[in-house]
Amino acid sequence: MDLMPGPEQEAIRDAIRGLLADRLPSARVRQVMAMEIPADPELWRAAAELGWFGLHLPEQAGGAGYGAAEAMLLFVELGRALAPGPWLGTVLAARALAGDRGQRATLQRLLGGTLRAAVADDPTGVLGSNAHLDGTLEGVLDLGAADAVLVLGPQHTGWLRLADAGVSVRSVPGMDPTRRLGTLRLSGVGAQRLDADPGALRRLGTVLAAAEAVGVAERALEASVEYAKVRQQFGKPIGTFQAIKHRCADMATRTEVARASVTWAAVALDDHDPEVAEWAHAAKALATRAALENTHDNVQNHGGMGYTWESDAHLLLKRARALEHCFGSRTAHLDALAAPWRSPA
Amino acid sequence: MELRFSREEEAFREQARAWLEANVPRGPKPAPHDLPGRRAYDMAWQRTMFDAGWAGINWPREYGGRGASLMEQLVWYEEYARVGAPEVSTGFVGLKHAGPTLIACGNEQQKAEHLPRILRGDVVWCQGFSEPNAGSDLAALQTRAVIDGDELVVTGQKIWTSFGHIAELQELLVRTDPEAPKHKGITWVICPMGVPGMEVRPIKTLAGNADFCEVFYDGVRIPLTNVVGRLNDGWRVAMATLSFERGTAFMSEQVRLARRLDEVIALARRARGPAGKGRAIDDDEIARRLALAKAEVDAMRAMTYRTLSGTARTGMPGPEGSMIRLFFSELVQRIDQLTMEILGPAALEGFDLDGVPEAGWSERYLTGLSQTIGGGTKEIQRNIVGERVLGLPR
Repeated sequence: MDLMPGPEQEAIRDAIRGLLADRLPSARVRQVMAMEIPADPELWRAAAELGWFGLHLPEQAGGAGYGAAEAMLLFVELGRALAPGPWLGTVLAARALAGDRGQRATLQRLLGGTLRAAVADDPTGVLGSNAHLDGTLEGVLDLGAADAVLVLGPQHTGWLRLADAGVSVRSVPGMDPTRRLGTLRLSGVGAQRLDADPGALRRLGTVLAAAEAVGVAERALEASVEYAKVRQQFGKPIGTFQAIKHRCADMATRTEVARASVTWAAVALDDHDPEVAEWAHAAKALATRAALENTHDNVQNHGGMGYTWESDAHLLLKRARALEHCFGSRTAHLDALAAPWRSPA
Repeated sequence: MELRFSREEEAFREQARAWLEANVPRGPKPAPHDLPGRRAYDMAWQRTMFDAGWAGINWPREYGGRGASLMEQLVWYEEYARVGAPEVSTGFVGLKHAGPTLIACGNEQQKAEHLPRILRGDVVWCQGFSEPNAGSDLAALQTRAVIDGDELVVTGQKIWTSFGHIAELQELLVRTDPEAPKHKGITWVICPMGVPGMEVRPIKTLAGNADFCEVFYDGVRIPLTNVVGRLNDGWRVAMATLSFERGTAFMSEQVRLARRLDEVIALARRARGPAGKGRAIDDDEIARRLALAKAEVDAMRAMTYRTLSGTARTGMPGPEGSMIRLFFSELVQRIDQLTMEILGPAALEGFDLDGVPEAGWSERYLTGLSQTIGGGTKEIQRNIVGERVLGLPR
């Protein structure tokens, strides 16, 4: 049993963090979020060269041979950096395509950074479940920055290009300027069926979204602690006041609770643990809570500055809000956890 | 990273489980207020473990312990809690505090004299740290000890001394140098109980029990050979084992809490709903609060595992132990409060005229209120996290 990253995993994490700190400082995030297509093309190329999109895939599929645990580390870093763009969709699509022998060429384009995918999470089958997909799905994250869509239906996994006949996409400005929303409208689209279990992909997506939320929670904590050490009022740093200090302690505790849960869930995915579904629900509920509560506290800890557009506090908070609805809200995950207890006695 | 234990660790688990299942006492437990009965029960069980070689699972072999690895300790405590083996209770200070302190800081004679007696269940220890004016600010303690020949003469008062009325020995902090800065003039000494000049008065708690006491010292004489570590070095001695305790104290607690939550969920499946109709579990709010508690109890296990993983790698528990402590104490109380709501008016029943509850939900709820006070209040825990983990200014 070992739930701490080993030296190799620490090296992976440090490399990712180093590149993001270098290429994607806050000023760059703000440039990218103002672009027509909010994804950083240079960073995307660099990420592809470093193999980030295939970190979790076997080497035969062109991946790095690691697993969900390493992908989890990647998404914590992406959350910390508030990275704009369809990272989650691309990584999930790579997983889905890697299991389908007929899709090797497309997979190579995803891994090579020349194709980006959004994910349409459709557990209730709004888009239908026939060979032809019909319907409208709102609130698809990063749709405008993607070239293709991975559809996770109730029972099937579909793959379509935005350029396919019958696919229309409307970009909708949303609360989070770094992750634009889109409405996906399909009329009689013959999406390709992938040989991939949508439930397993949804669980992976849930855990990676949770990891991203841990990164957001962690960044909010660090921002508050840095500020509390330097901001002076009444002749001393505000971090000496227990009202601030204790709030920071709670932010740290929440982050560690979430990190532990998400780490277990990711390792459970790799270990094919029979309780992995429960862990994924728990991880998402706790990580989103940590992200939301920490980002709110971070606005408060920054006082008037926290209320400005100039401060990053609002970007963190808005990302947390977006993640709450990515692969299910806290309420949905708690209901899923409670469902087995509520069956008739 | 991996969840699986090694084959050797799994073999150890089988061995531990088999022994525990065959030997855990199944008879009735003594009532919470029956202190002599509890003492006899706890010490008999300790002796059973000692005779079979399971006592002092993490203590070095040379002092009669089992010398188990960190992962084996985890496995042992998990199995221990899973079969519902007795909580450490009256043995707590000896096994979890005084014993480890002696191992870390005692001389050979002190170790040889005391460690086997603790492991065999021959002796109950209590703690004399807190004072009426030295609680969270422990280093402000004022109980004086002056050297007279080859003895210390102690005058003062201690409080919150659990099991002081049934203990033979006490780990006692006294001020031996009133001129020194407050952390520097303290000495850690082994004090025999029931000696001339000492008076022990039980304190009744809000839960109706009298587990802890006040202890008064009026010229109590203690041989200087009972000093552990050096004179005036008692603060360091007292802190020597604290971080380790914080890091590993939760191996069994996380399993016990998970079992308890399972019982609360089962209760919610049979208790009537809050509006008097249906079952409690059919209420969305109760179901979600239970689900959140489930997620948090799972996370508690994951945090424990992570801390142990880090400790196994570095040899030292990290500061995140204080976060586990804070999280755990508040989580227990959230679960207890939710249990009270699920029980409804039935939570109010089962008390005698002295206010003493029967063993059960309400008793646990009331005793659980001490979780965020004893051993460092939750406010002190937050200071520790803020200052030592996050580096915020004092």
